[in-house]
Order: sequence, then structure tokens, then C-alpha cells
Amino acid sequence: MSQIVFDAVRHGYRTKGRAEMVALSDVNLTVEQGEFVSLLGPSGCGKSTLLYLLGGFVPLQSGRILMEGKPVTGPGPDRGVVFQNFALFPWKTVRQNIAYGLERQGLTAQARTERVQQFIDMVQLRGFEDSFPSQLSGGMRQRVAIARTLAVDPRVLLMDEPFGALDAQTREIMHEELLAIMRRTPMTTIFVTHDVREAVYLSDRVAVMSSRPGRIKEVVTIDLGPRTGPDIMKSAKFNEYVEYLWSQVKTDAVKAMQ
Amino acid sequence: MARLISFFEATGSLFAILLLWYLATRYGTLSEFLLPSPASVLARIADDTASGDLPTSLLLTLRTAGLGFAIAALAGTTLGIAMARIRLVHWFFDPLISLGFPMPKIAFLPVFLLWLGPTAASQITIVAVSAIFPVVVAAFSGAEGVEKTQLWSARSLGASRHGLLWQIVLPAITPQLFTGLQIALPVALVTTIVAEMLTGSDGIGGIMLGAMRFADSAGVFAYIIVIAIAGTLVFRGMERLRARLLRWHPEQSH
Amino acid sequence: MRLIDFLIRWSPLAILALAWEAAPRLGLINPQSLPPLSVVAVSLWQLAASGDLLTNGLQSLWRLVAGLGLAILIGVPLGAAMASNRIVNVIVAPIARALYPMPKSALIPVLLLWLGLGNASKITLIFLGCLLPVLMSAYNGVRGVEPVMLWSARSFGRGPLSVLFGVAVPAAMPELLAGIRSALALSFVLLVSSEFLMARDGLGYLISFLGDGGAYAPMFAAVIVVSSLGFAADRLFLGLMRRMLAWRG
Repeated sequence: MSQIVFDAVRHGYRTKGRAEMVALSDVNLTVEQGEFVSLLGPSGCGKSTLLYLLGGFVPLQSGRILMEGKPVTGPGPDRGVVFQNFALFPWKTVRQNIAYGLERQGLTAQARTERVQQFIDMVQLRGFEDSFPSQLSGGMRQRVAIARTLAVDPRVLLMDEPFGALDAQTREIMHEELLAIMRRTPMTTIFVTHDVREAVYLSDRVAVMSSRPGRIKEVVTIDLGPRTGPDIMKSAKFNEYVEYLWSQVKTDAVKAMQ
Repeated sequence: MARLISFFEATGSLFAILLLWYLATRYGTLSEFLLPSPASVLARIADDTASGDLPTSLLLTLRTAGLGFAIAALAGTTLGIAMARIRLVHWFFDPLISLGFPMPKIAFLPVFLLWLGPTAASQITIVAVSAIFPVVVAAFSGAEGVEKTQLWSARSLGASRHGLLWQIVLPAITPQLFTGLQIALPVALVTTIVAEMLTGSDGIGGIMLGAMRFADSAGVFAYIIVIAIAGTLVFRGMERLRARLLRWHPEQSH
Repeated sequence: MRLIDFLIRWSPLAILALAWEAAPRLGLINPQSLPPLSVVAVSLWQLAASGDLLTNGLQSLWRLVAGLGLAILIGVPLGAAMASNRIVNVIVAPIARALYPMPKSALIPVLLLWLGLGNASKITLIFLGCLLPVLMSAYNGVRGVEPVMLWSARSFGRGPLSVLFGVAVPAAMPELLAGIRSALALSFVLLVSSEFLMARDGLGYLISFLGDGGAYAPMFAAVIVVSSLGFAADRLFLGLMRRMLAWRG
């Protein structure tokens, strides 16, 4: 049985006095345990909406979404989320942010402290435990958000353009860190992005979405073997994938700009 | 040396005013009735402090202002958040708030006096009514502006719907809430003094008006100085509290 | 469509008006404490017809305009000068800072002592009360003007005064107008308070006079008039503000 199933998902928005805008139309996708799947598409193709539906933040209108066989009815700690704007709690320190989810899990205080420290170490924020988010750089903030999400030990990880707000250099560093985390603790991940290279570099499979209405055009399996470092981006195979996916996305991206 | 200069710059003109005041009463032609000397005003403050009259009336004033302000803060925050989250509440209160905000609420004081008599209750009511509007507006716009993703993150980290209010919404709106409270605080003080004058209370306002009726200028001046100092301390306290609670806020660093 | 939106938005006021009319008529509230709205409306008409509203209203309006006008006339240049001149700042800032937290209504007895029951005491009270908010907003506004803007104005060969009023004051306008708006609200509070306590005419006096005489329906009418004036003044000023700040888009 697949871990995540999207079955004939349809979603529309109604604005006052206008016809319904169809954001997602007949989306079908299955994700297996341990897979890293990217949702790739231009802005407005409904890829974030799809993620929010799986997260349980937006109520499902039609179709089925199954998480390990059970329909999604609301948010839950089995699906950890990382957002583009980090969504940290700015009034809490790094330590308190990471502890937030754990406080709701009935751990002893000592177990909690140890686990928080373990995740602070994992995202290399030792020395910043008592800083507030406003005192951190964008990359550091997103590392806190990732640690906060992973600390509650979710079954799957949902990432909504997590590196979209970062500068190019920081983004590359974050790619390596994310891959390192995935090597240590493999986890099913759904990763929303509009960056073709990022999708190819990180994913096992890439679902290309088209816009208006949003639907899955094609699912491409990325067969590059284990990612050993950024050198892989120089390989011919990598660039073939990028070129192919770009050609698939391009028509829609141009359409979205008009 | 540099510290001495900056101290002088920060207070010099205040001392100059005091000196002018002294010289005017010492060598000027103004009567003690129109402008009592600093010495007699100070003596008056000392006497009334020693007799216990001044501390009693100051405490009474602070109690009225404090209770009215606290009611405005609690009710205003609750209403503002409720307006942001419950459509029906928003529908009902939005026109009342936008209509009531710019009105001089003090005009309703005679109405409360009619309903509640010249009591502490009517004073506290008019203070709360005057001070609540900026709090409601601040809490409402704060709660409206809470990031959806913050609420979603908290939910997916295991927070209950009920928990969101205390764990996310309330801390997230504190910066805006404090801006509202800092607008409401002087309103509460101004209103308290007027309400005390009109109800003949034993608070500072009532005592001042009484002193004026008996042509007791030293008394009037003494209590002006007392309320000015008390106001300063209350404002400082509020700023301290803000700085403490909003340590995490980027605007707080300066 | 827009009419329906308007009706839905303001219908709570209609509900309240209905409750105001019904509660005393049904005996839920003593009509002495709250005369039915229709009775208040009739009183309002009578007050207006008798001319009491107009004479007292004009008196109050004059105090308001004079006090607030003086505060703007003196507060704006003084605040701007404070922001751009160190000596002015050293002289004015400590006094402004010391007086800012004082509840201005505490000045009512002194002003009564000094200036008596006439216009002067009220105008002075409103002037003193509004001076600080106007001054501080002009100060903060001008201080916040980008130095680049001032330099470029200076480099066009303008003198310091011309720069102050030609560049700095317009750039400080948003902050300044916000300050004047809060001063406007305060001026109404001080006007009504002082007329309650020390006057022989004016709308505040009218309210307390009617209340003391047990004429509660006209008292409610006068309270409504004063509140509506406060609301209308704020809306007018808001409209003016939007117009003046149209360049900000």
C-alpha cells in the first residue's frame, strides 16, 4: 500500500460575484514510503494547495487523500510541514521553538531537553540556542524550522518552497544539509518548488504540474543514484533531466506570466 | 564630562524653568494667589504627604485609572480577537467601533452619572469606555494579521484549536496590543481626573477642584506636580513592561 | 449590490436604535434613565429650533478651532525647529518630555484660577493639551526625513529655511497629520471636560446644565450632538489627510 494517495482531487476557489476558479482538477498521485517527490510547476498551478490539502489545513472539496490508508481530516503531527516564510514563533527562542511540538507529546522534561539539543546539533545551531528568530539569518531560521518539524518525528515531511526566500548561496548550502539529513534519517518528503534544478537535484521523482486548472501533467523518475555532492549537477544526465523538465514547465510558466 | 553635558542637555531647561518660577515669585509682582512660590508648593506636598491625605488621594486616583484601564485592556483584547475570528461578532461590533472610536466618550459622563450616581463605579465605567477603543482596534488588526502559516505550523505540531489562542494568537499580537495600550493609557488618566472633578471624589481630581474653589493655589499646584510625576512613572512602567515582554521583537532592540 | 452591503454593514446600529426605543417603552428600563430614542429625537429638534444648539455649538467650535489652530501654528514650526536645530532641541525637549505624560485635564483648575470662566481658559487648555502631540509628531516626522532628500535639496542651492518648509515639512506630513488627528480627538475631550466644569456656555455646559436640571431627554440629545461632531470632525480630517497624502499612492 502506498503511504500517500491523492485520488481524483479537485479544488476550486469562489470569489464574490465571480465564477469559480478551478485550482486543482483531477489530481492523482501516489507516494511510496521513503520517497522524495517534488511538485514542480509555475506559480498558480495549485502545487501549494495540494500540499495544504495533504497537511489538512485546507478542507478537501472533492476526491480522496489517504495518509497510510486513512483519509486526511485535519492537521496532525504525522505530517510535518516547513513553509517558505519559516513560520517560526518569533517570541520563542531557538530552543523554545524546537521544543514546542515536543511539549505536546508527553515526554519527560529531561528527554525533551536532550531531544531539543540533538536537533539543534543536527542543524548546526549550537551557540544560538537562546537567540530569537529576529536575530538569525534567513538560512538559520529555516534550519530552526526544519529542526522544529523533524523533532516531533513526523511520518512524512511536507516542504512548501522551503528555500524560496533564501539567497542562491544559502540555498545551495541548505540543499546539501537537507540531503545529509535525509541520508541519516530517510523520510518520505513532498517538496513544492518552481526551481527545476532544485527539483532534479533533490528528488527521486518529479511531478510536473500545469496551471489553469492545476493538474499533474507527467511524473518523471530521476535516476541519478545516491547524491554524493554538487558535482552531479555537472553530469550530462542531470542536465538532460533539467532540460526536459524545463521544456515541460516552460509553456505553462510563460502562460502564467501573461 | 560628556555625561555631565548630556545630563545638562536632558534636564537643563527644566531647571531653568524652576529658576524662573522662583525668581518670578521672589521678585515679581505676581501674588501668591496667582503663582505660589516653589517653596510653598513643596511645603504643601510635604505636609499633605505627612498627613496621609496626598497618598490616600493618589492611591484612589491610581485605583480608578488602573481598574478602568485593566477592564479596557481585558475586554478590549477579548473583543478585538473575537472580532477577528468570529464573523458575527465582527458584523455587530465593527460599525460601533468605527463610530465610537473618534467620539469624545467623556461626553457620556453625565449619562453614567445619571445611571450609576456619583460613585467609583461611574468613574471606572467612563474610564474603561474611553480607553477601550484603541485596545479593540489594536487587538483586532493584530489578530487579523497573524500569519496563517504560524497557526498551521502550531496545529501540525500538535496544538489544539483552543490552544492556538493562548499559544500563538496572544503572543503574536503583543506588539500591536502594546501600541494600543500605550494610546489608551493617557486617555485613561485624562478621563480619570475629569471624572473625579465632576463627581467630587477624594482622588487627585476632586481634591484639586476643591483647592481651586477655596482659592488654595499652593494646593492646586502641588497636586498638578504630583499627578505629573505619577503619570511619568506610570508611562515609564508601561515602557519597561513593553521592553521586557517584547525582547524578541526586532523593533525593541533600539 | 453596494446598497445591500451598506445596509448589512450598518444594520447593528439600527438594531441598537430599535433596542433604545423599545427598552424604555416596554418598561425594561426606567424611561427617566433612558428616554426612548424618539423622545430624544424630538428634544433634539426642539433644542435646534430654540437656537440653544447653534449658539452653544458655535461657542464650542470657536474654542476648538482657536485652541487647536494655535497648537498647530506654534507646534509645527517648533517641532520642525527642534528636529533640525540642536539648541532649540536642548531647550524644548526636556520640557516636552516632562509634560508629555501629565494628564492635561489636571490643568483645568489652574486655568480657571488664572483665566476665569470665559473663552481664554478653554482655548488655553486645548492649546496646551494639543501642543505636545502636534509638536512631537512634527519633530518625529522631520527627524525621520531621509538625509538624502535634504542633501539633494541643499545641492540645488536652497537655503536652510526653504529646505525646512519646502522639503522637510512635506516629507514629514504623514506623521504630522497623524499627530494632528490624535490632537483633534484630544481637543474634543478637553473642550467637553472644561465646559462641564468651568463655563457658562458651550455644548459641554449645555449637557451638564440639562442634566443638572433633570431634563434628561434633551441631555441625551446634546450628548449625541457632541459625539456626532467629534465623529464628523475626525471623518472630515481623515478625508483631508487622504487628499494631502495622495502622492503616496
